[in-house]
Amino acid sequence: MRITAEAKTATRQRILTVAGRLFQKQGWENATTRDIAEAAGIANGTLFNYFKSKEAIAAALIEDATAGAMTEFSRRRAGQESLEEDLFALIWTGLKSVREFRPFLAPAAEAIFSPLAQPAREGVGDRLRILHLEAAERIMAEHGVARPLPPVVLQLYWTLYLGVFAFWAADESPHQEDTLALLDRSLKLFAAAGISPALEEGENHGRKSE
Amino acid sequence: MDANLNELLAALPDEPAESAAEFSQAELQRIFADLARRPAPLSSLHRLWTLGELSTQVALATLALWMRRWFADAEAQKRRAMETNLRLALKIFHRLGYLRGAMTKLGQAAGNFPQILPAQIADTLDRLHFEAPPMHFSLVREVLAAELGAEPEDLFQSFEKEAFAAASIGQVHRAMLKSGERVAVKIQYPAIARTIDADFRNLNALLFPLRLGKDWDSLKAQCEEIHRMLKQEVDYEREAESLREARALFADDDGFVVPAVHPRYSTKRVLTMDFVSGLHLPAFLATHPSQELRNRFGEKLFLVWHRLHAARMNYGDPQSGNYLFMQDGRLGLLDFGCVQHFTDEEFGLLRLAYRLDEGGTEAVRELLRRACYATDADLANQEYVGLIEESIHWNLEPIRHQGPFDYGDAEYFKHGVDIFARIVKKRYSRSHPMFVYFDRSQMALKALLFRLGAQVDVKALAIRNWWGPAGSGPTVPAE
Repeated sequence: MRITAEAKTATRQRILTVAGRLFQKQGWENATTRDIAEAAGIANGTLFNYFKSKEAIAAALIEDATAGAMTEFSRRRAGQESLEEDLFALIWTGLKSVREFRPFLAPAAEAIFSPLAQPAREGVGDRLRILHLEAAERIMAEHGVARPLPPVVLQLYWTLYLGVFAFWAADESPHQEDTLALLDRSLKLFAAAGISPALEEGENHGRKSE
Repeated sequence: MDANLNELLAALPDEPAESAAEFSQAELQRIFADLARRPAPLSSLHRLWTLGELSTQVALATLALWMRRWFADAEAQKRRAMETNLRLALKIFHRLGYLRGAMTKLGQAAGNFPQILPAQIADTLDRLHFEAPPMHFSLVREVLAAELGAEPEDLFQSFEKEAFAAASIGQVHRAMLKSGERVAVKIQYPAIARTIDADFRNLNALLFPLRLGKDWDSLKAQCEEIHRMLKQEVDYEREAESLREARALFADDDGFVVPAVHPRYSTKRVLTMDFVSGLHLPAFLATHPSQELRNRFGEKLFLVWHRLHAARMNYGDPQSGNYLFMQDGRLGLLDFGCVQHFTDEEFGLLRLAYRLDEGGTEAVRELLRRACYATDADLANQEYVGLIEESIHWNLEPIRHQGPFDYGDAEYFKHGVDIFARIVKKRYSRSHPMFVYFDRSQMALKALLFRLGAQVDVKALAIRNWWGPAGSGPTVPAE
């Protein structure tokens, strides 16, 4: 029997929906791919046609949610923002988009993003990392930072992002206000310290950060 | 810090380090000096430093992600304990990241109260100015959304993205309600309020070397008062309440404007008030106002002070920026975050202070006993009693004066600064904690009247407003 593209999309979506629910209900560690397949009404083997691992499911959940966030970020942008405000909006809009997954995001992100875990995870988080870094690099370029960014700046930015992400996932302050402040202050430092040399290099390449 | 206090501190001689306690104070000074380093990376050295700090922050945060793996096989209980520690460590690092900013708030507070800390520390603190970093609109939007449940575009008819004024722990934006009313929206930088307790724990640790001093109990109580007032200052709901209380005392048609609060758009961290239009003191002075106009505003400043006292309140914030000189001659009163509310005991002390003019030496001694915890030995110290009497005389001079008193008289003002400097230098700082803010506001009022160059007939004003026509009663605020 041939499976239509629509049916495939529907199944993929069903897997993601039930996985999100199970991760929240049972916790990241306890929810297995077998549980997810069962709840989605498919065979365990079928699930692997869609996602290679539990980490890949979580990565897809985050990726789908953050795709909407990119649209939201672009919609709100007035064009007058400073580099740090743009980066702030990019990161915070992304975090808000996955807020409903917060209860399991810390362990999931650790499994997806940890540099130590990458070889074993077959680069599941790579796509997410590349998507985010491309967006960040595009923004920085618009503020006059020469492309491609020096690897050290990109690495610094990504490490900062993961740090904020980890902090946010475990932030118990009201409305995650501690993360708001941490993100704001970190980006101020990043814009001042991390990006300045790159800005100087790219001084003659378009708009310069305020 | 106010210009008068800068002047005062500049007049203080350096004190040589003489003992271990002095050494500790020097150490304290060094710590504060370290904290005073501005984060702006102006030189490559600074840039390196901030880069180092940034790397530490991100490395620690990322470590949190990795560490879970190391304990992946541990029993659940151990893992939970580890995670708790990890969260704590993250909190600590987070606080450390904040420390310079939050400590400078403390620094500014303590620097404003040189009677508390040894002079050289106060001098160092003078260089610290707490500024919550300016918030860009994206951050403002998030704070408003979290506090008011909707974003500014949905809440207001219009909302200016750029702040028009900086508040000490946030900033103020102009906006228009959907009903068409123009408002000022004061927004607090996130998470500041919750750091205050932790910062005071740090301060207490830093002040620990001073615990053996004879004034430790008083110092501790005064620090607690600052702690209490700072907590009050970051609670905008409390400020809204003070605004409402003050509004009841000042009617728009008697020459004062206290903005009304819009509760629907106000929370603990956001305060929406009527927008009041007017000039701050420097801009007002730049219009070269007539002496008559200066005098009228001088009278109003004086009336504010007394009317609030009668209501058991004190406008504790000395900033001239809290007053607006309006084109129609009215005085706008803006910031009610730092308002003292006197307890019965404090109000009793206030009344005692007001009675000094008629009570003679015995009244001074009673005040010293009750307000400054003076012992018999202290009262036998003629230098101490003499200096306090001189200070009281200076305070009462305007009300003893026949006709308008010239607050713009530089000699009079300098004399007050000199007395204050001598009291600080002699460390006659033991007092009831209420005087931490009371003395500051009293000095600030005099500084404001001095800068305004106002001539105010204080006695006539007192007779008209609270002495009654006989003019023989004490200058005690009515209960």
